[in-house]
Amino acid sequence: MRTWLPALAVGCVLALIALGSVLVLQPGSEPTAARTDALARELRCPDCQGLSVADSPTASAQEIRRQIDELVTGGATDDEVRAHFVARYGEWILLAPTAPLVWVIPFAVVVAGAGALGAWLVSRRRPLHGSPVRPSPEERRRLREEADVLDA
Amino acid sequence: MRHLRWLLVPLVVIPLGWLLVSGFGRDPREIRSPLAGRTAPEWTLTSLDGETLSSGDLAGRPYVVNFWASWCIPACVDEHPVLSDAHRQLGEEVTIVGMLYNDRPADAEAFLTRYGDAGYSHLIDPDGRLAIEFGVTGPPETFFVDADGIVRDKQFGPLTPTLMAERLATILPSAAR
Repeated sequence: MRTWLPALAVGCVLALIALGSVLVLQPGSEPTAARTDALARELRCPDCQGLSVADSPTASAQEIRRQIDELVTGGATDDEVRAHFVARYGEWILLAPTAPLVWVIPFAVVVAGAGALGAWLVSRRRPLHGSPVRPSPEERRRLREEADVLDA
Repeated sequence: MRHLRWLLVPLVVIPLGWLLVSGFGRDPREIRSPLAGRTAPEWTLTSLDGETLSSGDLAGRPYVVNFWASWCIPACVDEHPVLSDAHRQLGEEVTIVGMLYNDRPADAEAFLTRYGDAGYSHLIDPDGRLAIEFGVTGPPETFFVDADGIVRDKQFGPLTPTLMAERLATILPSAAR
């Protein structure tokens, strides 16, 4: 009888801890708040200068935040939440542009600039290390004569 | 290599020049409304006079929704007579509705007492929810909705008599006369 009592007590304590953690942590509520925060950081506050909804205290920003929370709680995906506001404000409401060209252009400019710089450097160095001018037989003969005079 | 330099002019300088010229020619705050050509958001709101008005009440009739605020100075003060005149002259054909944008009703009433109340309704948008439905970024912004309930045009910034006539013509052919 006494041998299984401690095991039962430990089992009960573990079960209570597991139940408590499920009730306290409430899986689902934390991800919802985190998603609302993340989406609020992606959307532009309509009546501010370059601030996100998350960073702005204006009434419009608060209302948008409330709507994001409502949509997320209602089961909308992140893309559906973004689309909801894009339908009203256009892509302007997104702080990060979606057009792929906008992301590619800076890299293309850097690569083109590096290429132009490289081509310029190569074209400058070519006369020094490119094909050297070889002396003609006449020049070779004269050089040898000059050297003989100096050696003498 | 040398002739490539001449290619730089049409390939780089001209597009960059065009980008700059076109960029300087527009207001960076102005955003094209994705609502144009789509059904206007529906609303049921209370006016400063305590009356309830809804978009459904205006079905079959063109209307103008003007988002304004008493603190929006001078733009809202400047356009106020334009809206008042349009209401007096075309009130039979088109309904003008003022929407308070992030404003206190008492301040809006004081504005109307000071600058004149033409008699059209001014509605209270409590949480700014309707402003978000219309994609408003700041007053004044005005939306022109035709008799079928479709948003036909949007004015960003204050209306002038000329702009008002142009915008009204999109929902009311008689206004173009």
